[in-house]
Amino acid sequence: MALSAESIPMRWPAGPLDIARREKGKGFSAETAELLRQWQDPASLSVLQGTPVNCLVVGWASGLAADAGQQQALRPLIEKGRQAGIGFVGLIEGEANRPAAVEAAQSAGLSAVAMDGDAPASAAIPVLPRSESAQVRWTANSPVLGIADGLWPGIPQERGQGGGPTNLPWVDSNGAVLRIARALAPDKSVWIDFDPPPQATLTAEAYMLAVADPASYGARWVISLDDKLRADLTANKQPALDTWKKIAGMLDFFERNKQAGNYQAAGLLAVMSNFAGSDWMIGQEALNLSPRLRQPFRVIARSRAAGASFAGLQAIFYVDREPPDAELRRKLVAFAKAGGTLFVPSNWPNPEGPPVPAEPYLLFGLRALGKGRLAVCKEEQPDAYDTVADIQNIMSHRNDLLRLYNAPSMNFFYQTSAEGGRGLIHLLNYSRRPASDGPLFYVQQPHRSARLVSPEIASAAALQWVPQEAGGAELSLPRISVYGAVELEQ
Amino acid sequence: MLAGAGAGVGALFARPAWSAAATAPAARVAVARCMTYGPELLPTMAKMFDQLGGLDRLVKGKTVAVKINLIGVRWQRLGAARMEDTFWSNPRVIGATVHLLGKAGARRIRVVEGPWSTAETLQEVMLSMNWQPQDILNAADQVEFENTNFLGQGKKYSRFMVPGGGLIYPGYDLNHSYEDCDVFVSLAKMKEHAATGVTLSMKNVYGATPITIYGEGAGVDEPSVRPHGGRGGVFHFAKRLPSKSAPQQKDMSLPKDAGYRIPRIVAELCSARPVHLAIIDGVKTATGAETNYGSRPQAAVNPGVLIAGTNCVATDAAAMAVMGFNPLADRGTPPFANSDSMLRLGEDLGIGVRDLSRNEIVGTPIAEVVFSYSAVREKILAAAKKA
Repeated sequence: MALSAESIPMRWPAGPLDIARREKGKGFSAETAELLRQWQDPASLSVLQGTPVNCLVVGWASGLAADAGQQQALRPLIEKGRQAGIGFVGLIEGEANRPAAVEAAQSAGLSAVAMDGDAPASAAIPVLPRSESAQVRWTANSPVLGIADGLWPGIPQERGQGGGPTNLPWVDSNGAVLRIARALAPDKSVWIDFDPPPQATLTAEAYMLAVADPASYGARWVISLDDKLRADLTANKQPALDTWKKIAGMLDFFERNKQAGNYQAAGLLAVMSNFAGSDWMIGQEALNLSPRLRQPFRVIARSRAAGASFAGLQAIFYVDREPPDAELRRKLVAFAKAGGTLFVPSNWPNPEGPPVPAEPYLLFGLRALGKGRLAVCKEEQPDAYDTVADIQNIMSHRNDLLRLYNAPSMNFFYQTSAEGGRGLIHLLNYSRRPASDGPLFYVQQPHRSARLVSPEIASAAALQWVPQEAGGAELSLPRISVYGAVELEQ
Repeated sequence: MLAGAGAGVGALFARPAWSAAATAPAARVAVARCMTYGPELLPTMAKMFDQLGGLDRLVKGKTVAVKINLIGVRWQRLGAARMEDTFWSNPRVIGATVHLLGKAGARRIRVVEGPWSTAETLQEVMLSMNWQPQDILNAADQVEFENTNFLGQGKKYSRFMVPGGGLIYPGYDLNHSYEDCDVFVSLAKMKEHAATGVTLSMKNVYGATPITIYGEGAGVDEPSVRPHGGRGGVFHFAKRLPSKSAPQQKDMSLPKDAGYRIPRIVAELCSARPVHLAIIDGVKTATGAETNYGSRPQAAVNPGVLIAGTNCVATDAAAMAVMGFNPLADRGTPPFANSDSMLRLGEDLGIGVRDLSRNEIVGTPIAEVVFSYSAVREKILAAAKKA
């Protein structure tokens, strides 16, 4: 099967190379080695029956002595898998001889290889660029891009439930990185790698969230199961089979509900950046923290900003220290003059407009610009949380499109259809268990209908609008363990 | 009545030598039935203030600060119930108070509060709850808001020393608004509290302390510029010190138990920054705790009562009686199962008396408006058991 946007990947640890890579690590045992040998057996592919998984990512070359043995040992697995319509992607890492590894992959019938850095000129099969998020080559010539440093989603134990700077618990989410990916490479499929946390006992819900977190943002998790679950699956133990069924169910759900792929993120704020170099951190953190402040936003790649519509925006946060070119600057200033607020870094050259009074503690100094405002950051390296908090303060809650209550461990993001008649609010619960009360949404513009879709309920549930005295309406949702989406229709 | 008086005398005998309870002033408290925040609210409050001797006597020509209660993480409601109907001061009560203060001749009215971990303006916090802050600003002339979590519009913090030297801290540094005012109003919600049993007009003053000094993210030497975190680390559990610029804890060996510390801190604050008018909103509120704890048996309820007085200890004592508790109760007796009584500590500091027989209760008799919080809890637990 050729590598494509339809490929649903799963990491398939098996064979001598994975044994060699792991045997020096903590917790490696004879049982682990045996499991890795078992999963190179073509019979192990039976695990995939009844699931949408159709692409296996296998270790292929790491510059270790085991490379050749690996490539040989996996041939029966690859042969059997291909007969069943399963594609294989070989991981090439470390000091591997890349041209040789690519050639061996082609010879073995792999669909593609995944590697960091440039593809060998001689590569005759697709090469999936795979690197850490800050280094991804977004314009690479591949239908699929790989992010190697995803986060296992959840509430990090070391942080506790006590709360981050946003008043709500810290959450580990891949949302920010995947929103950047969507903005910088809108036509590509993104695969994101993250392994289960070591030594953790993971529930089915933990795995369901691992699927849902990337999938809700239009990306795919390269499914990676922990050793115990794989061993128990191999032994046909019922709890493991149940967990696997739930994982497959979550994959199925997102395959059946792909409309999000065609919807556009909606919000009154746009964050604009190239998300590269020294601007990566503040840009990425702004996107990471905004959902915790319940601030829906759009992401605009600076490189595409000239052609981007600013319609419906109240504010734009221009992140990059490098000033925009003259054309983009004119466009941004025109946006502000028409009534928007333009947030810019401290080194914005020759700020337009006269200063106007503002709360002294604010990170931004305000200037009047036509009907709108220019907000220039006062600090060269501002704190990311203070930055997004003050952007929200200056924007005001008066025009909030959505507000989410009773869901401290949840993030949401909002999308609308191209014609604007439909909306979709994705809800992800990073605690992986329902809160005492169901989530409650305030919606500024009530729609004709609202319904909840979720893999946790048998069929879509109609939601009732409760009009609010001061305008807008509220929607009470049932309790959600991992994921749900509210479909709005005008 | 006699039994109540007897208990009061008994409590006096148990007091520490430094107690000023014997000289604490008795006061008048007005109680009124008010089932809704509708048209009945304003005349009911006006009548209550008249029963207290008239607001003009208190506020005419004066600058008034009204400390409201916007406690906790605002995104956590009690089910679908609105914050103003459960944990927060209701905007209509705030508006009515502001209006009546203005009508009584207040020269300037500043609505103040330190909402959890934020430097946002109070207007912004209100807007995020779908309130219309303009309604409050327009309820009288010269109305302002100030978030007192930080320096705000001030140039420096104001120091309030606790008469007699204090129990935990000798004094507190607060936002300038608490010094600027001639009259200080505590506008509280009638609630239970997870750590201190009840939270009424006295406990409401606890939220006056700036997060920049007393918050988990406060500056070590000087106050931070922006408020980060809550007050638990400093006040509840003494896990860290306030900024060194502020008066420090008198004795570091004191218990680090919230049930010991918070009632003392509250009593100290009410002694250092006296409350001139206490208003307790029990029209709609929540039982079980001061904010949504998730795991506690809690309910949104409609006791339909307002309580006001010119002494915060006396007013809170009346409210406790309305809630079905004995205002003379202390540690070990509900609602003070795990804490000392801040009312008793306030009495010891000479603020006021909690013995209802020594105060004058006017308006609706308490017996007619008792709303038992314990009964609600029992009902919830019984229903849960049945389920």
